[in-house]
Amino acid sequence: MTTATETQFRAAGPAGRILNVVRLNVANPWTTIIMPWLILGIIFLANLTIWWIIFNSVGADNVADVSDGLQYSGASTWIFVYMTVVAIQAINLTFPFALGYGVTRRDFWLGSSVTFVLLSAMYAVGMTILSVIEETTNGWGLGGHMFTAVFFGDTWLQRLFIYFVAFLFFFFFGAAIATVYVRWRANGVTLFFVVLAALLIAGAAVLTLTGNWQVIGDFFARTGLVGSFAWSLVITVISGFAGYLILRRATPKN
Amino acid sequence: MTAVIEVTGLSKTFGSIRAVDDVSFTVEENKIYGLLGRNGAGKTTLMQLLTGQDFAMKGDIRVFGESPVENAHVLQRISFIKESQRYPDDFRVKHVFKSAPWFFANWDAEFAERLIGDFRLPLNQRIKKLSRGQLSSIGVIVGLASRAPLTFFDEPYLGLDAVARQTFYDRLLEDYAQNPRTVILSTHLIDEVANLLEHVLVIDQGRIIIDQDAESLRGTATAVVGVATAVDAFVGTREVIHRDRVGGLASVTIAGLDATERAAASAAGLELTPVSLQQLIIRRTNTSEREFEQSA
Repeated sequence: MTTATETQFRAAGPAGRILNVVRLNVANPWTTIIMPWLILGIIFLANLTIWWIIFNSVGADNVADVSDGLQYSGASTWIFVYMTVVAIQAINLTFPFALGYGVTRRDFWLGSSVTFVLLSAMYAVGMTILSVIEETTNGWGLGGHMFTAVFFGDTWLQRLFIYFVAFLFFFFFGAAIATVYVRWRANGVTLFFVVLAALLIAGAAVLTLTGNWQVIGDFFARTGLVGSFAWSLVITVISGFAGYLILRRATPKN
Repeated sequence: MTAVIEVTGLSKTFGSIRAVDDVSFTVEENKIYGLLGRNGAGKTTLMQLLTGQDFAMKGDIRVFGESPVENAHVLQRISFIKESQRYPDDFRVKHVFKSAPWFFANWDAEFAERLIGDFRLPLNQRIKKLSRGQLSSIGVIVGLASRAPLTFFDEPYLGLDAVARQTFYDRLLEDYAQNPRTVILSTHLIDEVANLLEHVLVIDQGRIIIDQDAESLRGTATAVVGVATAVDAFVGTREVIHRDRVGGLASVTIAGLDATERAAASAAGLELTPVSLQQLIIRRTNTSEREFEQSA
């Protein structure tokens, strides 16, 4: 009997198991891939209409001024928040589901991390391509800015990097917060944010009392836009490891 | 016979509650086990420990010879269907059946399709919108079609009507006959599954109080019914499991009788009736409760 069951059974290797978790995370591509692009498209069309109205009312002479103002556009920032929610849902709901499928916590975390990196890459590349089109068409012919907003960098390479690390940050930070919830429920999350707020306030107090706010300003001025985004990778990596350590001892509850 | 699960001295407490209390037992390969007990007896905790979802505080668990905790080699052979299973928020029914074959090497898609028809499950429906019974049937179908060498069903039929439950029992038996595997079924609808079970584990207040072959368990008790004085005379000093009295008539449940004792009983004008598994377990769990109260 034992041998019959053993030979019948085809076990998956480590890479196969991790890939299966990636597939599970995007089993319904509507949520993770189709819907975000659709919303992005709708917001783009709405912006295009507004740019068109402005373009027609201010006249061609003033378009350059308007275009300057539009570069502070926040039209595409929601997508980062959306991806945070995607990460939270993956940990809070897909995790207990995957455990029922016999997935280990380690494979789940690795597979989800791969998913986050792949999704970050896809959105970063897609939005960078759109930014290049936006640049070469001089803001879709209307001086508009959506993918070339000033805080995304000056060149396409900078934008690719900033988009990518920003997506990574929102995915992994969201996932790490979700692991706190899965393991210690609402009390854990509350405690986490109370401690985080206390640390930030303490930091602000120290800077104010010692008159050292200048140091912070200097730091960001020195490291620049790309450098500052690069520093977010520190938090992203910490979230990546902390999330696994927290999830490793978590039991899904009802 | 090969042991699929070996548990020794297993304990798990939540605060002051002893969910699983110094439990030891063995599960043999290719049998259907009933894990029976009242609500809160520790059934789900025990199954979560056996599937590596929860962590033991004391004791040792071997599943397929190894610890199940974070052990892909072991966990890939397990299918754990929980009554309270949660699904990803955006899943429709079809996404469950699309993803399940990636994780269960023995998945039988044809069988799954047949079961989906049997249970009339709407594939395009969002899981959030399903009724309690439809949600349960998803679990039942995944548990059956996954054909995992070790399958756990934890109260799998909440909200299922009698017809659907019978379909589940029928399909389980049919498929089990063709594809033998180890099944552990936790339930409190004991009489419904009594004929399915080959071995019975009864858990009460975190302790295993019965660990016995279903057939021999049924033989361990008989109800003696008749005129109270005659019943009392026959029972004598035998250990009484349960006693009912209506007017001058008595029904006393005692340990199983051999052939000569049975003959003596009918000679005394008494009737012997079999005790159902459910009654037997109810009476045994009551006893242990009383003993527990006395010792406390």
